[in-house]
Amino acid sequence: MIIRGAAARQCRHAVSRNSFRPLRRSLSSEVNTADSSTQDNIKQLQSLEAQLNAQLARPAPSARVPNTIAEQYHQYKQQQKIFGKLGTHITPHYRPHTLLNHPPSPADVTLELLLASEAHQGHATSIWNPANARYIHGIRQGVHIISLEVTAAHLRRAAKIVQEVSRRAGMVLFVGTRDGQDRAVIRAAELAKGYHLFERWIPGSITNGQQILGRCRTKVVNEKDETVPGFEEQLDERPVLRPDLVVCLNPLENYVLLHECALNNIPTIGVIDTNADPTWVTYPIPANDDSIRCIQVIAGVLGRAGEAGQKMRLDAAAKGEITYTPAKGLVMPGEEEDSKKTCPAVDAEIQENLLEDEGLEDAGEPSAKLDEAASLEGNERIKVVS
Amino acid sequence: MAQRDLSRCLLRAIAPISRTPRPIFASPVARCLSTTTPRPAELLEEPQERFKAAEPFDFAKEDGPRSGGGGKRLLRTLRIVPASPSYFSAKPTFTDDFVRLSALLRTVATLPMVAPIDAPKVAWKTIDQYRIMTNEPVRTQRFHKMMHIVRRLNCIHPSLMPEEVLQAMQRFKKDSQPGDIVPNPGVIDELGRAKGVGRRKTSSAVAWVVEGEGEVLVNGKSLTQFFGRLHDRESAVWALKATQRLDKYNVFALTQGGGVTGQAEALTLAVAKALLVHEPALKPALRRAGCVTRDMRKVERKKAGHVKARKMPTWVKR
Repeated sequence: MIIRGAAARQCRHAVSRNSFRPLRRSLSSEVNTADSSTQDNIKQLQSLEAQLNAQLARPAPSARVPNTIAEQYHQYKQQQKIFGKLGTHITPHYRPHTLLNHPPSPADVTLELLLASEAHQGHATSIWNPANARYIHGIRQGVHIISLEVTAAHLRRAAKIVQEVSRRAGMVLFVGTRDGQDRAVIRAAELAKGYHLFERWIPGSITNGQQILGRCRTKVVNEKDETVPGFEEQLDERPVLRPDLVVCLNPLENYVLLHECALNNIPTIGVIDTNADPTWVTYPIPANDDSIRCIQVIAGVLGRAGEAGQKMRLDAAAKGEITYTPAKGLVMPGEEEDSKKTCPAVDAEIQENLLEDEGLEDAGEPSAKLDEAASLEGNERIKVVS
Repeated sequence: MAQRDLSRCLLRAIAPISRTPRPIFASPVARCLSTTTPRPAELLEEPQERFKAAEPFDFAKEDGPRSGGGGKRLLRTLRIVPASPSYFSAKPTFTDDFVRLSALLRTVATLPMVAPIDAPKVAWKTIDQYRIMTNEPVRTQRFHKMMHIVRRLNCIHPSLMPEEVLQAMQRFKKDSQPGDIVPNPGVIDELGRAKGVGRRKTSSAVAWVVEGEGEVLVNGKSLTQFFGRLHDRESAVWALKATQRLDKYNVFALTQGGGVTGQAEALTLAVAKALLVHEPALKPALRRAGCVTRDMRKVERKKAGHVKARKMPTWVKR
């Protein structure tokens, strides 16, 4: 391949690297005129072109044109390796994929980052929720501006919560059901070893969990997160799992989820915009829920916090410390037959639940009592057998 | 914000708690002219029920036990967790599949593609088969979104298709693909005969076609003896007539069942199939002539309430 004018195009870097000027200056004692210096520059450029051509001409043993798609693609990739870095060097700037692939940690939260992610943009003043007044910095162009210091403080607090819950092996559920929030939610759950939800929350997943989540599989793990086999039969009899902490990135659309969490004493973290109700969540983060970039920053920070918490938990586990309350009622697989009838903790739980449901009565009891009474009197009650 | 405005707004916010709530004069639904389903936050100004979020954590009193040694060590370290990070979606298998495919597509999106028409022809699983496989209530639209990604993965150029993509796609293919079952090609035996079988209505025919002068024997009789009708004679050897090979092949046929015309039409198919063994390139020509497709029409059964298959008894007003 012959390059024409490449040196002229890539002049700045090429010439700076292979500059002959210092050598010439040291040898020459004459002062250069304008004409002679331009002549010299042209000669330098031409010699540079020759050099580049020589360099590129060397690694071309297979100079034939690639005829298959695979060969063409392979050649394209090789050329990209050589020439891909050429061109203007752009100063560090926002690249969207970095928020998902390398999210910021709680220590990287700065007001500049939040401002650049448009976390301060609230909604029109006419549709605000006055309970959010304490988070609002002011008004600009008819729109409420959220105070970023408040946002940063609440975000750091929420990160601490997520970290501590993860350290104690709690189940953190990241929820973001709007378009474009799915990747942020999946990445956060991946980092924090938690759970994600980016489609509609099915109402009743907590209050009617057995019906809705009853089929979803669970597993038994030890302190090092290794799956322990042999407990599958016992898992079938266990109640459905509930999250220990819920992080909601769009609380306005997930009213039912937050209500269910409130009914079941599950703390929630939520991104509260100026028109959202902060009392719906336990730990609000006042920020803009309409900006995907802002959501990615918040989800990334919380995911990183969860990652730190998980690391702490696993470090403690390596030393033999258990930071969580182990599951009650589990029996070693070999001893299942002996103690099948005695699961005191689970039985106690089931008894409590039955007592709470007043509608459920032992259907056999009244008929048994009637039979007793009838037999005492000597009359036999006609039993209706269905 | 001005102090006065703030306190006025706060007073207005607090006021409804102390006195009875204002009645809503016109329900938003009655005046709504939109045909799309509005989101709950847009439609309702106040939520149906007021609720308060759960209490904040008290980490101080919730520390887990520090385990020591002793007896049932393993049981003291165990906890129960969901098997999949998509547990709370109620469709964990489907959600995991979707996430995995999306991530895979992002990694291989820059590879060269072929047009969808030129991509390998695959029989993908239907939504019902997928639902049976996963045993989950998968929504139709979401399933089709996922299959869209799978079909896009299938369009990667075959010479550059990565192994992991092939493995990922295998899960969504039907067990039997169109090219799996290949019928045995017809054989010409040592005497130069090719056999073909044809059926029409309740008649069936077997024909042996061999290179010759143009003689035809049907059930031991010649064509003119067996078929009294000219039309039937023509249709019996229509495959040879349409390709102008009447004088090039001999036909020996056995027919049974049905009537005369049915047997003639059965012979059409049988002779065509036998001819295709000799000259496979004639297939388009025979298809245009109408000899290749088996005529599936048969006598329709009589139904209850009808006099015949379709005929109904006379309508009576009362």
